[in-house]
Amino acid sequence: MVEIALGTALAAIGAGVAIGFAGLGSGLGQGMAAAGSVGAVAEDNDMFARGIIFSALPETQAIYGFLVAILLLVFSGLLGGGQGLPTEAGIVAIGVGASIGFAGLGSGMGQGMAAASSVGAIVEDNDMFARGIIFSALPETQAIYGFLIAILLMVFGGILG
Amino acid sequence: MADEIATLISSVGLTQETFLVFCILAILIVGAVVVIITSRPILDIYPYLNPSARVRARKGRLFDEKQISEIVETNDVEEVENYLKGIPEYADVLDDYPLDKALDVERANTYDFVARLAPKDIKDPFVVMSKKTDIDNIKSLLTAKEVGLSAEETKELLIPCGSLYDDLESLADAESVTDVITSLDNTEYATALEDALPQYEDTKMILPLESALDKYYLGKLLRSTDVPSDENKQILYSYVGTQVDVANLKLIIRAKEDGLDYDAISPYILEEGYQLREWKLKDLMESPDVTNVVSGLEGTKYANALSDAIPVYNETGSVAVFEKALDTYAADYAKSLSAKKPLGIGPIIGYLSQKESEIKNLKIIARAKREADFPNSKIMEMLI
Repeated sequence: MVEIALGTALAAIGAGVAIGFAGLGSGLGQGMAAAGSVGAVAEDNDMFARGIIFSALPETQAIYGFLVAILLLVFSGLLGGGQGLPTEAGIVAIGVGASIGFAGLGSGMGQGMAAASSVGAIVEDNDMFARGIIFSALPETQAIYGFLIAILLMVFGGILG
Repeated sequence: MADEIATLISSVGLTQETFLVFCILAILIVGAVVVIITSRPILDIYPYLNPSARVRARKGRLFDEKQISEIVETNDVEEVENYLKGIPEYADVLDDYPLDKALDVERANTYDFVARLAPKDIKDPFVVMSKKTDIDNIKSLLTAKEVGLSAEETKELLIPCGSLYDDLESLADAESVTDVITSLDNTEYATALEDALPQYEDTKMILPLESALDKYYLGKLLRSTDVPSDENKQILYSYVGTQVDVANLKLIIRAKEDGLDYDAISPYILEEGYQLREWKLKDLMESPDVTNVVSGLEGTKYANALSDAIPVYNETGSVAVFEKALDTYAADYAKSLSAKKPLGIGPIIGYLSQKESEIKNLKIIARAKREADFPNSKIMEMLI
């Protein structure tokens, strides 16, 4: 069996939380947006491109989670064969994962609802496109906060650098 | 720091592996709680996302005020028909049927469409509403047989939609009203019709049969809404209940205009109304005249809508003003309900109600355009 330091193992949990919960939120959000878009496209073929745009919006949370997870895996030594993390840095890594994971979950779900609603508004009234994008982009901020804190924790928690 | 953590872990009697297992378990438990809490609203709205988008797409294609004005400004019914042929929603049905029948077909298609796409939890009332076409067809068949129309003339009256259409079309050459009713004994309408048959045989008027069908429909519609356990079902119950109350009120007002008393009206009224319960309906049916019916509604949500129509009624003497006021109230109420749950039942109710109003308005315009020199301003007043 491969010998893994406790800190590295904790970082692995952090990476799982980061992509797991962010991916969950992103998937739920994207599912909602796509369900609304399919309904819109069924009635109006011209909605395809706009439906894709709104369905793609909640993808970003999964990207943030994926990026943080990769960073944790690389800097904890699980990928790339570097030195393992000390235990305290491993505990910080769980905080890193929770930060982007839970922020991504809430943000993705919120964005999915807003995007689905926007698709419905646009298919009813074409002029709603710009306003729909603005409203759908609002829940992105929570994921950005989570991502920022995750990066700061990695920098000042002894994981990066 | 690492030593302190290691000491802390060992001081509580855990190995590093056990500590890891505890960490994983804690994350799993927290994760499970978060997922359960957050997935609840998702599960509530998810079934409505696709239907909402579809009905909103169709709602966006309904006529706006400018288009309705343009139709009203047309010179005759042919121009109305030509205008509608330029609208994709109506073009297909107008290719196959004359204007009035095309509008009936479009309405039936709308109810079928909504009944098909409504989520399972709220599907039943919309399925019942889609059966209105069958009821209208049965009424047409009964009317045709009462006045002795030929099989071809009878078929012309039927709307070519609904689950019973083929059966009803084959009854077009039935000899009499009684034959039609006997032939329908394997349908859900058999009991209602057979119960009213003796009254028809006494009076030789089909009104009791038509009223029995209406009462059956409204009763089934009201019972099709479950106990309103969530906001979507509460909104649906209000919508359906208001339709039942409005139908009861129209019947009572018209009966009072004809001077009928409680005993004559009560068999046709659905006692279990929504806001107008049995005792209130009894009061209204016992009112001496139309004005007293309206004043008897004081304290209910229908009072304002009908009170405003009293001056016009006093001027014209026609109860049609009350019927229009009730239709307008029902449409406005449905519009207010449609704004309550944008990711739920709201858009479905909004579309259905507005589409129904649009078709009613088109029928009003078509009827007015068939009459010579009917003023456009008068048509605008008649619209819902």
